[in-house]
Amino acid sequence: MTVFKPLLLICSLGLSGAVLAQDASVTISSPADGAKVSASAPTKVTYAVVPGPKGDHVHLYVDGGEATVLRQLNGTTTVDTLKAGPHTLCIKVVDKAHTPIGVEKCIKVTAG
Amino acid sequence: MDAQNLGYALTQVVHNLGAVSVTGGAAAACGLKLAEPQAAQRSLAALVLGGWAAQAASGVCFGAISYLGYGRLPDIHGIAVGALVLKMVCAAAGFSVAALYLAREVGWSAPARRRAWTAQLALALTALAAAAVLRWFS
Repeated sequence: MTVFKPLLLICSLGLSGAVLAQDASVTISSPADGAKVSASAPTKVTYAVVPGPKGDHVHLYVDGGEATVLRQLNGTTTVDTLKAGPHTLCIKVVDKAHTPIGVEKCIKVTAG
Repeated sequence: MDAQNLGYALTQVVHNLGAVSVTGGAAAACGLKLAEPQAAQRSLAALVLGGWAAQAASGVCFGAISYLGYGRLPDIHGIAVGALVLKMVCAAAGFSVAALYLAREVGWSAPARRRAWTAQLALALTALAAAAVLRWFS
């Protein structure tokens, strides 16, 4: 019993840490997933981020390549004009050392 | 206290002390008259050598902490990658010059020693400038 209580405490602390880590989130409100965007003008991306206890800022990726670093946790940013065809836009939460913490939102758009 | 942040902080302490050592050591040596005892300059060379080693080791630690925590290295691109490469080149060159100084300076002329210290200072200042770019363009 004397061992059980500390173990329970440690487990509960670990669980609370895990829950806190889950608190990070990314929302891309525009463009919508699967939307068509212009192939002749830059695309505006509207997003909102909750970095959680591990995150610091976010990186925006276009087709797997890092396009820009976003230090504002919500707002609108502009992606360079996309070539005609399908593309994937991702926003990933990263820590202070710029390492993705595993929380991200990706959408597919088609430029045309 | 978060273990990962603690790791980053302790690594940053070593990294900063390394930067102070290489820059301060080289600046102090450049400021010394060449008639000063060479023993003092050898001590500074040893300090600078340790500083570059600390810079390199702590730089590796930053990556290692990220990898241990998330299974991947920091995600940097463009100018930041250039700045990181420049820092690594400065560290390698600075370490080499310091090691060479400690090994061979007995036979060097005063102008040769001066050139070595000027090079060290230039490398340290370049690495500091690159660090600033790496920090804010990542």
